[in-house]
Amino acid sequence: MKMEEVSMSSLDNSKLEGLAQDILSDLVEDACLGLCFEVHRAVKQGYFFLDDTDQESMRDFEIVDQPGLDVFGQVYNQWKNKECVCPNCSRSIAASRFAPHLEKCLGMGRNSSRIANRRIVTGNNTNNKSESDQEDNDDVNDNDWSYGAEKKAKKRKSDKNPNSPRRSKSFKHKSTCCLFP
Amino acid sequence: MSKDSQMRVAINQKLIEMGERERLKELLRAKLVECGWKDQLKAHCKDVIKEKGLEHVTVEDLVTEVTPKGRALVPDSVKKELLQRIRAFLAQHATL
Repeated sequence: MKMEEVSMSSLDNSKLEGLAQDILSDLVEDACLGLCFEVHRAVKQGYFFLDDTDQESMRDFEIVDQPGLDVFGQVYNQWKNKECVCPNCSRSIAASRFAPHLEKCLGMGRNSSRIANRRIVTGNNTNNKSESDQEDNDDVNDNDWSYGAEKKAKKRKSDKNPNSPRRSKSFKHKSTCCLFP
Repeated sequence: MSKDSQMRVAINQKLIEMGERERLKELLRAKLVECGWKDQLKAHCKDVIKEKGLEHVTVEDLVTEVTPKGRALVPDSVKKELLQRIRAFLAQHATL
């Protein structure tokens, strides 16, 4: 009895497998037919060959795969090492530092006013020496990550700058402090 | 009708009624596009059309040329995945 059951179920399995294969075959045929109809319509409506370009254009716009060039064949880091001459101080500046340098050199932009204020203060404290150092300070200010920047930050904290807005803030704080003994 | 064909008819009906056939169709279509089957076959169609002439090609031409190749080009992984789903459906809904 058991043997029969086993053989029965294997028969059914093979039947089911056959059925599954047939269903798959139908689905694949549907997919093929779908493609045929799609292509036929495209041919009759005239848009089947629309995405083809002639061989010459294909060669013209082929993707470039060489070192040092991007996919269009342009050199993409040729401005890295170029230097520009500043119209203000007539110094030769690296291209990537040119915009920030101009900002400080011409006295425009957000940071240049703060630096100017700081210079006024240091000019008052240590008169002549710092004035002659102003040109060199420019270099220090140009490098965002140099040691000089750290010095600059430290200096700011101990600054009692009459022109900076911070002064008035601490003033406010002092007055409120007095209210709470 | 034999019991077998009865069962087949019933199963196919269930497939359609439950929307599973449509889902399987969409799954197959997506997989075939993904694996590049559609592009391969389209390229073959181009050859057929160039051969028969753009004006004179008929649906029958395309079907007779394309279907056998289409069947052969379906990758095994796609077949496997579809069969798995079909078998799962049959296991659930086939009454013997």
